[in-house]
Amino acid sequence: MTAIGDILHLLVTANLWQSVLALSALLLLPALGGVISERSGVVNIAMEGMMLTGAFFAVYADLHLHNPWLAALLAMLAGALMALIHAVVSIRFRADQIVSGIAINIFAAGLTVFLIGRLYGLQDVGHIQNSEALPQIVIPGLSSIPFIGQVLFNQNVIVYVALIILVLTHVVLFRTRLGLRVRSVGEHPQAADTAGINVFRLRYGAVIISGILSGLAGAYLAIGISNTFVPNMTDGRGYIALAAMIFGKWTPFGAFIACLIFGLGEAIYYNNSIIHASPYLLSALPYILTLVVIAGLVGRSIPPAADGLPYVPGEE
Amino acid sequence: MGTGAVVARPRPRLPGIVRLARGLAMPVGSVLFAFVAGGVIVFVTGANPLGAYQGLLCGGAGLACAQGENSALQISNSLVYAIPLVMCGVAVALPFRAGLFNIGAEGQLLAGTITATAIGVHFAAWPAVILLPVVLVGGAVAGALWAGIAGVLKATTGAHEVVTTIMLNYAAQWLLRFLIIGGPLQPPGEFSASAPIGGNARLPTFLPNDSSVIVFGLPATVYRVHTGLIIAVLAAAVFAILLWRTSLGYEIRALGQSQKAARYAGVSVRRTVIVTMLIAGAFAGLAGAAQIAGVDHQMTDKYFSDTTGFDAIAVALLGLGSAVGIVLAALLFGALHSGGAVMQSDAGISSNLVLVLQALILFSIAANFLGAILRQIPGLGRRPSAPAPTAPGAALVTEASTALPEEGEPAT
Amino acid sequence: MVRWVRVLGLVVVAVVFVAACGSTSSATNTTPKIKVGLVTDTGGLNDKSFNHLAALGLAKAASTGTICSVGGLQCSGGLSVQGDVVESKTGDEYVPNLTNFATKGYDLVIGNGFLMQPAIGTVAKEFPNVKFAIVDGYCSDANFNDLKLSNCMDLLFKEQESGALVGAIAGLLEKAKKAPKNTNVIGAVGGISIPPVNHYIAGYKWAAELEDPGVKVLVGYSNDFNATDKCKGVANSQIGQGAEFIFQVAGGCGLGALQAAGQAKVYSFGVDADQKDADASVIASALKKVDVAVYDAIQAVVKSSFQAGENRFSLQNDATGYQIDNPLSDGSQLPSDIKAAVDKLAADIKSGAQTPPADIPTT
Repeated sequence: MTAIGDILHLLVTANLWQSVLALSALLLLPALGGVISERSGVVNIAMEGMMLTGAFFAVYADLHLHNPWLAALLAMLAGALMALIHAVVSIRFRADQIVSGIAINIFAAGLTVFLIGRLYGLQDVGHIQNSEALPQIVIPGLSSIPFIGQVLFNQNVIVYVALIILVLTHVVLFRTRLGLRVRSVGEHPQAADTAGINVFRLRYGAVIISGILSGLAGAYLAIGISNTFVPNMTDGRGYIALAAMIFGKWTPFGAFIACLIFGLGEAIYYNNSIIHASPYLLSALPYILTLVVIAGLVGRSIPPAADGLPYVPGEE
Repeated sequence: MGTGAVVARPRPRLPGIVRLARGLAMPVGSVLFAFVAGGVIVFVTGANPLGAYQGLLCGGAGLACAQGENSALQISNSLVYAIPLVMCGVAVALPFRAGLFNIGAEGQLLAGTITATAIGVHFAAWPAVILLPVVLVGGAVAGALWAGIAGVLKATTGAHEVVTTIMLNYAAQWLLRFLIIGGPLQPPGEFSASAPIGGNARLPTFLPNDSSVIVFGLPATVYRVHTGLIIAVLAAAVFAILLWRTSLGYEIRALGQSQKAARYAGVSVRRTVIVTMLIAGAFAGLAGAAQIAGVDHQMTDKYFSDTTGFDAIAVALLGLGSAVGIVLAALLFGALHSGGAVMQSDAGISSNLVLVLQALILFSIAANFLGAILRQIPGLGRRPSAPAPTAPGAALVTEASTALPEEGEPAT
Repeated sequence: MVRWVRVLGLVVVAVVFVAACGSTSSATNTTPKIKVGLVTDTGGLNDKSFNHLAALGLAKAASTGTICSVGGLQCSGGLSVQGDVVESKTGDEYVPNLTNFATKGYDLVIGNGFLMQPAIGTVAKEFPNVKFAIVDGYCSDANFNDLKLSNCMDLLFKEQESGALVGAIAGLLEKAKKAPKNTNVIGAVGGISIPPVNHYIAGYKWAAELEDPGVKVLVGYSNDFNATDKCKGVANSQIGQGAEFIFQVAGGCGLGALQAAGQAKVYSFGVDADQKDADASVIASALKKVDVAVYDAIQAVVKSSFQAGENRFSLQNDATGYQIDNPLSDGSQLPSDIKAAVDKLAADIKSGAQTPPADIPTT
């Protein structure tokens, strides 16, 4: 089958893996956010909406401020605000957290396009200059190493940031007291409360951090990879990040491996010029891959025990 | 009174209209909240909320039309949008009752459209009496199987149905594109659409299919509202009967209340999960088949970006998971969809405002804002609220125990 | 409880009926101004190519209407019409949008886009007294067969001609070894595999191979007309395979392909409109003067010279062609001998001596 042969040939090129890492980073950030949020006991399927909001505000801010760093900061803030809505509705009002998450996604999709209409009329959002984008960073020396140099040391700045956050998340969550507290709040909030841990504060914090990370991912997409905002440009990546989190059994490195797999699917599809297969079936690859992986190889995925349950002090 | 001896007294049954009002209060209140908040958003961004809502009203219900729109046509359009929403709303609401979250109604609908189209094209020579039912049933079966994948995965491997159904949605979208662009369903000629289904496979419209007949000032063919409306209403009725009058319905509701208790009661969790997803998928697949048979008569690339299955989530929630509620909510969302187009063309406000309203409705219901607001008003004497009356969350993995309120009962 | 719901339902139905019967007004158009409605395809007005050009054509003809308030467009009032525009977000909206204009008594309703053919065919049949025009297609039945309606004007382009001319530029530059790395590989990034896109690519491939027989042409699809990151990804993949000329045929998405070319320091070609300002790597654009076609259609209605049926736009009437844009990487202009060769090819196509294919050669 020539299609398989084409793909195998592709798998030994550095170009492909460079692309894979770049695309995985885009999924990794919201996936890490999801891990943190759900470890604290709040189900968060709103990554898609938070990412989209971040993307929009990143472009809008960059067009006016001409500074990608400030724009990224504002994107993170926007993501945090969206997350705050989810947090308030889920924690304070004890709403069903999946419904709230879906509502955020719908809200973000509608709000961003509505704002484009108000701010730009029927025109487009405009494109940022190459100089205003989040830059590619080529690490001198290391990037000359054959194969690995191109894959690991020639990436957008946000890719490096994502990898650092990956390690940080793992360390904090599993090696520090703070991480222990967060996890206890997600497993036995009643016991944690009795031990004097502020359940609500930790949960709010975790959800807001997930918003910050998703917002950053949106900025990466909009002003790092692309150069403008287009309605629905996140295109389901937030949901794939969710799947990555579940695949990774709510651990940072597990989620990372899943993100690599999905990134691989997307990178293969971009190469449809040289693969003798229908580009539409190639597009379906990441999703079918997810299904197979979630069904077969993963086994039962158990989330944190109190995941999804609003915490009512005094109740058992 | 003494030391707290309590005499248990049965609560008097309130008159029907009060119970109806209480039952409707939450959804109606949520819609009102959404419109008020949405109006604020519109106003804050420098536009006129009244103009926006006039557009919605015109396009949705044919009222307050100011630029020569034909009211009957607007109503017809609203109904056309509402028809698949009813069936997909059921497809989402039924699994809710069992504690499952079916986000895959869109993919199941697409499975239905694909199958309906394939049958309608391939067997176009069959007489209508046979072909039309086969088209509809075929679509339903396809939708059932599509949902069944997620159901089986959930029952056997515990795979979270939110994730699997979302992945199946995307897979269905790309399968659709594969089939009609360079694929087996595309007739020669390079047009990204299938061949049209045979005339015998069509659901008749309510008005004659003759453009020389003038109704309400326009040629009759302009009104696309079709007999799928009857199917939609029947589907809602079947849903209600299934849920409340069959033993399967009992098992589904038991599962939604508590997985452990259901198991003690002898309910097979695995079997119920699978059967529930199959039936839900059948409703969504039927919606897809009805769209093809009733409105579009062929599958085009527009189905790639169809959002009916997602809008149905809001429909199911706003309708509080009851058959009547779903029908009413579907009418509302159908009206919003139709209204959005008129709002955009008349008031220049992006039709995506409708999505914002939809989200606000969802927030309001999920968080029971109405209850929170009312509790601030002294003298209304409500008990402190338990978690809001919405669908069970990740119920089969953790044990959420809130269920949807029963028909007509006020939200607890 | 059920009884009350039934009563409620009857009340609602009654109200609706009263409203419907009470307000079936038709358009109250007392001004003699000709009203033209434009319905765009799903790419939005911001694609810097297809839909944008149609809007430009309408703006040139209009003196009032919502087209004049589209950011970046100036109404010149050339034909003093009222021009209104509606964007179709999804294919679901084609029929309602077209019907909307027709029921409000517009004189001309223009559908922009190949995918709208059955929709405009349906609506044109229902409103025989309203004139319709469609870009890139016919008023057709569900089989995309021309209905040959007397109130329908088909505005058809020979995109393969424009594609051929930029393909020739690529082939000639490769043959003259004036390309960045002289790999003899070029690429085209299409949106979705539909006829207008494939016509461009067909001409591109044919002409490149004509001028430079050893050239390798990579054809990829982004499956999207909007999201720039997808076209950038496909373009980067082609660049990774050595492609030095990237032809974008993907509307708004394709701008990402142009950006990729610029970042990789190779060349690119714009599509439909002159996309010189989209990126410095754009050395030429393949033109499709949709604005001219739209303006002509409006003019036909205004001057009562409406010609139903096929109206062809090609090199014959200067509606296709190419435009030289940014200079080459060393700052020089396109060499004059190459330009002369391309112009000769254009003349040959115009005279019929050469005919670029409409479908992509499967070599």
